[in-house]
Amino acid sequence: MAATVIEAKDLSLTFQTADSPVYALSKVNLTVEDGDFVSFIGPSGCGKTTLLRVIADLEQATSGLITVNGMTPQQARLARAYGYVFQAPGLLPWRTVDRNVALPLEIMGLEGAAERVRRNLDLVNLGGFEKKFPWQLSGGMQQRVSIARALAFDPKLLLMDEPFGALDEIVRDKLNQQLLELWARTKKTVVFVTHSIPEAVFLSTKIVVMSPRPGRIIDVIETGLPRDRMLDIREAPEFLKIAHRVREGLKAGHSYED
Amino acid sequence: MKTSGATIPVLTICLILLVVWYIACIPLNAVVAEAKIAAAGGGLAATLNESWNHARPVIPAPHQIVVELWNTVFAIAPWKVKSLLYHCWVTLSSTLLGFVLGVALGIFLAILIVHSKILSKALMPWIIASQTIPILAIAPMIIVVLGSLGLTGLLPKSLISMYLCFFPVTIGMVKGLNSPDIIHRDLMRTYNASASEVLWKLRLPASVPYLFASLKIAIAIALTGAIVGELPTGAISGIGARLLVGSYNGLTLMIWGALVAASVMAALLVWLVGYAERRTLTRMGVKPA
Repeated sequence: MAATVIEAKDLSLTFQTADSPVYALSKVNLTVEDGDFVSFIGPSGCGKTTLLRVIADLEQATSGLITVNGMTPQQARLARAYGYVFQAPGLLPWRTVDRNVALPLEIMGLEGAAERVRRNLDLVNLGGFEKKFPWQLSGGMQQRVSIARALAFDPKLLLMDEPFGALDEIVRDKLNQQLLELWARTKKTVVFVTHSIPEAVFLSTKIVVMSPRPGRIIDVIETGLPRDRMLDIREAPEFLKIAHRVREGLKAGHSYED
Repeated sequence: MKTSGATIPVLTICLILLVVWYIACIPLNAVVAEAKIAAAGGGLAATLNESWNHARPVIPAPHQIVVELWNTVFAIAPWKVKSLLYHCWVTLSSTLLGFVLGVALGIFLAILIVHSKILSKALMPWIIASQTIPILAIAPMIIVVLGSLGLTGLLPKSLISMYLCFFPVTIGMVKGLNSPDIIHRDLMRTYNASASEVLWKLRLPASVPYLFASLKIAIAIALTGAIVGELPTGAISGIGARLLVGSYNGLTLMIWGALVAASVMAALLVWLVGYAERRTLTRMGVKPA
């Protein structure tokens, strides 16, 4: 049995707003194991990004327990346990590609920055683009730089918040394939937020289906698809079966609103 | 070149202004030129000649200012007291010192303000109040107080420039230092970056475009500050002194010469800041427009 990386027990988070409290997360229970590729899927407002941000210590839970590598999220953040990829690439426009990837290395004072930058840019197939400025790259390339940046200091855990949400479907397919290869090669644990069913089913070993108001988990699906899958697996019956179950879950979560 | 299309309209406007100026000289200088026109026997030629060439005109004609500038800039060695360049240098040196001090103070205050809500609340009202006091009211006090402490010459004038020009820098830099996206701040947080690392690697580089916008305003008002600082001292050198001496003695040509010198200096300084801006932003990889 693999080691537990993330464990949440009865995790709740309530935002106090001016008129009424918003129940962003309600009694969330979740286990992520080492080497997992876990996707959070759900409509907007279901708390999937909030849950990721709680894991990253960018938000603090109101009640319940959560551990990351057996530590509190804050301790894990201070121990630089994870790399975070945001919805937008968030590259610093005044830094060239290589210096963007080197940013965490500078801040953490890590050795061998040049070698790490080269290795991680190769990992996202961007060797040769070191001296370009972000505006000279396409959106997909920029997001790959931000993945290389998140991996630069070699964290065991990669947290990704709808990283391909702003990209067109063709680029997205390609990046999904590349991400899967990267995951297989680096053996990282990945937590991935998305609102695309095919993306979630294609990438994940475990799909967490979430529902809004209050944000909660309504289904957890172990996909059991082979690790070295290709894009055409999306036509396979077992793929469609999982996608169907995800869709049913999302529908159920929606049934008593509006 | 993009500017070539603008040459003709710009020249046309200049020409119109010159014509209006020459025509306006005739009625405006009538007071001082009347007697001479009459003595010369009247008529159009005498009127034009006397209105446009009076030694102490109310409004000098453009060519008179050109001659005045030639005489005071090129015809005299620049280290002589009668040289306009000498006076320009006196004002410029205090402008530049005041600018450097003001920008340093402005950036320092902005850094304090963005890092502390309490300091922001404590400082902002004073910073804004400081700019509501007319500089003409406070300049003599600064000069007199510092003079009684034995500080004269360059420094008191520079302090007046500093007093004026820190303000746009503070306002611009507060905005600039707060300009990074939420994503960038969250990113630095995931790295557990310290406040000083966030400042050096994120806030300061992000604020550079805002800084330059402020610097263009700051350099121009630093010059104004230096000139104003030269007025209450009865200073004997500097552009302000030329304005003062000119107005005491009715030497309108001297005043106009000093005005032109001040505008040329202001234009050059603002251009220099703009040039530095373009160079810096290019080096920082800003997408060419």
